[in-house]
Amino acid sequence: MTNSNPVKIVMVEDDHGHAKLIEKNIRRANISNEIKHFDAGQPALDYLFSAEVLANGPLLILLDLNLPDMSGIDILAEVKRDDRLKRAPVVVLTTTDDKTEIQRCYDLGCNVYITKPVDYESFAAAIRQLGLFLSVMQAPEIE
Amino acid sequence: MSVPGKPSLSLRSVSQVLRTPGLARSITVLLSGALLLLLVVNASTFLMIQRTATLNEQVDSSWLVRRAGRTLLISLQQAESAQRGFLLTGQASFLVDYQTAERMAFTRLDELEDRIAGDTVGEAAIEGLEASIRAKFTEMNATLDASRAGRVGQAITRVRSGRGKALMDDIRRDIDAIDELQGQRVTNYTNASAQSASTTLAVNAIAGLLILLLAGVVAMLVRRYFHDMTEARAVIDRTNAGLEQRVRDRTAALTRANEEVQRFAYIVSHDLRSPLVNVMGFTSELEAAGQTIDRQISRLETVAPDLIETDAVTAVREELPEAIGFIRASTAKMDGLINAILKLSREGRRNLVPETLGMTTLVQGIADSVRHQVDATEGQIVVEPLPDFESDRLSIEQILGNLIDNAVKYLDPSRPGQIVISGEALAGGWVRFSVADNGRGIALRDHERIFELFRRAGRQDTPGEGLGLAFVRNSVRRLGGSIEIESELGKGSTFHLKFPTRLILEKTGDTL
Repeated sequence: MTNSNPVKIVMVEDDHGHAKLIEKNIRRANISNEIKHFDAGQPALDYLFSAEVLANGPLLILLDLNLPDMSGIDILAEVKRDDRLKRAPVVVLTTTDDKTEIQRCYDLGCNVYITKPVDYESFAAAIRQLGLFLSVMQAPEIE
Repeated sequence: MSVPGKPSLSLRSVSQVLRTPGLARSITVLLSGALLLLLVVNASTFLMIQRTATLNEQVDSSWLVRRAGRTLLISLQQAESAQRGFLLTGQASFLVDYQTAERMAFTRLDELEDRIAGDTVGEAAIEGLEASIRAKFTEMNATLDASRAGRVGQAITRVRSGRGKALMDDIRRDIDAIDELQGQRVTNYTNASAQSASTTLAVNAIAGLLILLLAGVVAMLVRRYFHDMTEARAVIDRTNAGLEQRVRDRTAALTRANEEVQRFAYIVSHDLRSPLVNVMGFTSELEAAGQTIDRQISRLETVAPDLIETDAVTAVREELPEAIGFIRASTAKMDGLINAILKLSREGRRNLVPETLGMTTLVQGIADSVRHQVDATEGQIVVEPLPDFESDRLSIEQILGNLIDNAVKYLDPSRPGQIVISGEALAGGWVRFSVADNGRGIALRDHERIFELFRRAGRQDTPGEGLGLAFVRNSVRRLGGSIEIESELGKGSTFHLKFPTRLILEKTGDTL
């Protein structure tokens, strides 16, 4: 990742515990990018569609599907429908491993779908691997 | 039902029909009435024909009597004419005519007597007539004798005396009386015949009318019956349609309820998982923090042991790991339970695909996969020939696999295991399979419990989640079947499965 264009991570996760654990494990993978956390869908959407996002270059979205005010799938659909945001990589990180849900997410343009393992070791490992993945991944510019 | 009992039964049923007030009885009675009337008409016609024949005979005989009387009179008149002719001319030919007429007259008199025989009134009349006739001939013979003897004047005088004429008048009057009597009788007979004819006609007409009336009533009843039947059918159809609609509604409601239950189970299990991630995650974090403190204490122990309080050491090295251990074990257990619910919920949502299953081969396959375990106990597993049927392959494999696994798992180690899988086709479109073992058995009070989720019975010396039989019963019910257990503690268990020969997939929801 280039320092001139740091990728901002937008995390939409209603469970603060999860958010904390995800952040911890991402940091453990030596990812120091800014992580912007939202615990509900609407504020996240407001932020994503604000002028600030345009000015701040590439971003990556970490998305939970079970949100209190809306389904993460709605956010995914909104993002992928938007001409500017649709190139932003979306990683769905959720507890649901229902086949139809997974299919729907990929159909809507989700880039990676990860099921949160209950077992913490696996969970931590998964998140660290995601961090490693993020460190080599190229995110497109938001224009 | 015995053979000799049959006719009486049918008779009884007929009389039963007749005894029950109703349409059938009315129609039967009406038709019987019509038949009876026809019989009356027939009988009266027959009687009339008989009677007419008798009357005709009587009329005939009356006419014959009349004719005999007339011809007798003619013969007498011929005789009288011949007598007068002889008296006038004395020619012998008149005498011959006279004698012929006399013979003829007596022949005719005999004939008349024959005809009238049996008729008391007539016989009485005939007696007088015969006497008059004989007197007349005596008188005529006397005149003829006198004439032949040459005493013509005496003969003429005898005729002039008017005795012969008087006798002839008597005879004519008698014959007229007979004639009149017979004529009267003919009239009577004719009248009687006409009356019987008109009576018969009337009877016929009335009976005909009555039959028509009965037929009309029957037709009306039948029409009403058909109308009622059509009405009843319409009502039944409407009711059926209503029932079908209600069944559809209920089924739809059930489907919705089932879907909701499944969705509920699914959501709940996921929502339960979410906090569990935290519990586990932060427990690990806590452990890591504890280890950090532990390292710090270890360092302090070497640098400044007097600063360390024993409580802190116990807390960090014993209480903390113990607490974390309990939390871990509980969360692991809870995770297992949630996974079990998820599995059941998922199985309930799976689409069933009915196909014909070669059951002997299918079960043999399952038996082969556990054979080495059974062989290890020097036991055996026997698959008897099983009936094929149509159902969902995966479900049936899972059900029998679970039951056979259980049978193997809970064999009694003190004796060689014996597991028998048998089956048969039942009447009414069902098949039955049985999995019997001589294992440890299940106490009666646990027969229902073992099918409940997360419940187990007996000594808890084998690993398990208490999920298998709950899953089996759920699957069996989904396939429209039933499962029953027959078991005695310490002797063995037999699970009986019953399925419809063909799995009919309704659009109903699936049970959880």
